Amino acid sequence: MTWDHFIYFALPAVLLWIAASALALQSPKKLLPTLLTILGLGVFFSFIIGLWISLERPPLRTMGETRLWYSFFLPVAGLITYQRWKYRWILSFSTILSAVFIAVNIVKPDIHNKVLMPALQSPWFAPHVIIYMFSYAILGAVTLIALYYLVREKKIPDKERIMDMADNLVYVGIAFITMGMLMGAIWAKEAWGHYWSWDPKETWAAATWLGYLIYIHYRLRKTSKNKISAIMLICAFVLLQVCWYGVNYLPSAQGRSVHTYSVR
Amino acid sequence: MNNSRKIWEKPWDYTEGFIVAGGIALAGTLLQFPLGNINPVDFGSPVNIIIGALFVAGLLCCHFLLKGNYIVGWLSSVRSTLPALLVMLLFIVILGLTPQFTIYEPQEHLPGNIFSRMGWYRMTTSWTFVFLCFYMLTILGFTLLKKARKLQSWRRLGFYLNHLGLFIALLGGLLGSGDLQRFTMTVAEGNTEWRAQDASGNIRELPVAIELDTFKIEEYPPKLVVIDNRTGKILPENRPESYMFEAIGKTTQLNGNTIELLEYIPQAAIVRDSVFTNVVPMPMDGAATALKVRVTNPSLKEPVEGWVSNGSYMFPYQVLYIDEATSVAMPVQEVKKYTSQVTVFTKAGHTEKAGIEVNKPLSMEDWIIYQYSYDESMGKYSKTSVFELVRDPWLKVVYTGIFMLLAGALFLFIAGPRK
Ligand code: HEM
Repeated sequence: MTWDHFIYFALPAVLLWIAASALALQSPKKLLPTLLTILGLGVFFSFIIGLWISLERPPLRTMGETRLWYSFFLPVAGLITYQRWKYRWILSFSTILSAVFIAVNIVKPDIHNKVLMPALQSPWFAPHVIIYMFSYAILGAVTLIALYYLVREKKIPDKERIMDMADNLVYVGIAFITMGMLMGAIWAKEAWGHYWSWDPKETWAAATWLGYLIYIHYRLRKTSKNKISAIMLICAFVLLQVCWYGVNYLPSAQGRSVHTYSVR
Repeated sequence: MNNSRKIWEKPWDYTEGFIVAGGIALAGTLLQFPLGNINPVDFGSPVNIIIGALFVAGLLCCHFLLKGNYIVGWLSSVRSTLPALLVMLLFIVILGLTPQFTIYEPQEHLPGNIFSRMGWYRMTTSWTFVFLCFYMLTILGFTLLKKARKLQSWRRLGFYLNHLGLFIALLGGLLGSGDLQRFTMTVAEGNTEWRAQDASGNIRELPVAIELDTFKIEEYPPKLVVIDNRTGKILPENRPESYMFEAIGKTTQLNGNTIELLEYIPQAAIVRDSVFTNVVPMPMDGAATALKVRVTNPSLKEPVEGWVSNGSYMFPYQVLYIDEATSVAMPVQEVKKYTSQVTVFTKAGHTEKAGIEVNKPLSMEDWIIYQYSYDESMGKYSKTSVFELVRDPWLKVVYTGIFMLLAGALFLFIAGPRK
C-alpha cells in the first residue's frame, strides 16, 4: 500500500468521524458515536498497517508519516475525553483538526521511501514517536479549548468547566510528553552515547516541556487568571510546533540537528 | 492579590520572583565576562562531589536551622517557581535560536558580538545557565523538604517521584558532566588499538583496547533519480522523485520520463575511453553499482539507453544524458547497517568478543563502546572502523532520576490535576 491509496481510507474514516460527531452533539447517548469513531479509527489504522508493511519499517520517519499518526491520535484523544469527561462537542473538534492534517497529507503526499538510517533502527523508535504523537494530539485538543475560551470568553456559561477540561487534558498531555522525552533520552544514550546533548530538537523539546510545566504550576494557585492560562497554553503549543517541525527551518539548526530525517 | 503592595513588601509574589530569577541570571552573566565559559573538566571528581555535598547540605541546613524563615518558605512556593521556570524557558529559547559551539572551539571562531562574551553561543556551559539550573534545584529542594513534613498520601507519592526525580536527574547530570569522558578510536581491520582521541584532539592510552576482526557495511538497493544538468538538483524540484531498484524488467516514472531497467551489475568495473563506456562485472573491492536503463519521453524522437552508476573510490560516477537539460543519475546508496566484529580487552584482564552496531553498543567495565563512523572516502569498502568510548560514572544517578520521573508521569496521567 502506498500514499496513492491514502484517500480511499482517509475519506471513509473522516465520514465516520463526522457522523459520530453529529450524533454526539444531538443525543447524550454515547454508544453509537463511540462505535462509529472506533470504526473510523480501524479504517484509518489499516492504512497505517498497510503502509508499515509495504515500507518494511514503521512509518514514523518523515513529516508526512508523523502527520499520519497525528491525524490518527486526534480522534483517539477526542474519544478519551468524550468518554472520561462527557464533553459532547469534543469529537467535532478533534475531527476537524484531524481532517486538516489529513488534507495536508493528501495535498502534499510524502515520498514512498524504505530507507531507515541505522540510528533509527531501534526498539525505542516506535514507542518514542508514537507516544510523542499521542501527546501532541492531546495538547492540540487543549489548544483548541484555549482558543475557544479566548474567542468566546464572554459567552461561556460555565468557565470553570472549560478550564477544568483544559487542566485534565494538560495533565494527560504532559504525562505522555514526559515519557516520550525520557524514552528519547534513554535511546539517545544507546544510539549516540549521551542522554542529552542540547541538540536543537532536544532544546525545543525541553522548552515545550517547560512551557506546559509553567502552565501546571500557574494553575495550582487560586489567583490564576483563566485568560492568562489560555494564553499560556497557546504559547506552549507554539513551542511544540517549533519542536515538531519548526527546527527544520531554524537557521540556528541548519545542518546541525541529528534529528532531521526528512527526505531531501 | 493586594495591588497596592510595594515591591519587597510581604507577601512576596511573582514580581519578586522575577527580580530574584533575573538577579541570578545577571550574577551569572557578570561572572561570565571575566571567567569565560565553564569547562566541565575543571569540575571533575572530587570537585563535583564536594559541590554536590555542600549544595545538599546547604539546603538541609537552611531548611532545618532557619525554620519558618520567610525566604525559605517563599522559595518553596509557586510564587518563586513560576518566574524561575519562565526565566529558564527564556534562556532555553535563546539557546534554541542561536547556533551553538562546543567548548573546544576557539573563541575567535565565534561571532564577535556582545552575546558571545555573555556566553550565549555556548549556553549550556555558561555561568548564567548553570546558575539558573542551581536556582531551580534550590526551589525544588526546598519544596521537597517542605512537603516531607506534611501527611503522606497517594497523590504525594506522585509529587515526590516527579520533583525528587527531576532533582536527582538534573543535579546528577550537571555534576556528572565533570566526569564524563568521551573518546573516539580508529581501528583498522586486523589491528588492536589502545590509543584514543578526545574532543580537543589529544591522544591518550585507555584502559580498554579494541581489536577489529571484521567491518561490514550493508547498503540499501541503489536508487535512480532525474537531475537538472546545470544545478545537479533532483527533479521535480518541489517534490524530488526517486526510484529504489527492485528487479530487472521493471519500469518506473521519474519527472515525466519512463525508465526501463535493462541490466544490473551490483559489482561492476566502468572502463571509459574517448568514445565508449564499457561496464563489466568485477567481483572485487572498489567495484561500483551499475544499472543499464532505457529512457523514453514524449519529446524524445527515440529512446536513450545507457549505464548509470554512483561510482566508488576507484571509478567515477556515471550519468545518462536524456537531453540538454536533464540526466538520469544514481545517488550514493544509503547505509542500512554497519557492524564491527571486535575483541575488546581491558587492562584489568577481561576479554570479550562482540558485534558492535549503531544502537547496539557494548558495555565493558565502566566504558560503553559505540559504533561511531568509518572511512567514508572508501564507502562500503572501508577497512577501518571508528568507535566512540564513553565513561560516565554518574549515569546511574541520572537514570535513577529518569525512572522516577517516568513513574511520576504515570501518576500525572492517572491522578490528574488537584481539585
Ligand atoms: C524546576 C522544576 C520544578 C519546580 C521548581 C517545581 C516546584 C513546585 C512547587 C513549588 C509546587 C507547589 C507545591 C505546593 O505547595 O503544592 C509544585 C507542585 C507541583 N508540581 Fe512542581 N516543580 C518542578 C517541576 C515539576 C515537574 C517536573 C512536575 C511534573 C512533571 C511537576 C509537577 C507538579 C505538580 C503535579 C504539583 C502539585 C503537587 C500537589 O498536588 O500538591 N513539577 N511544584
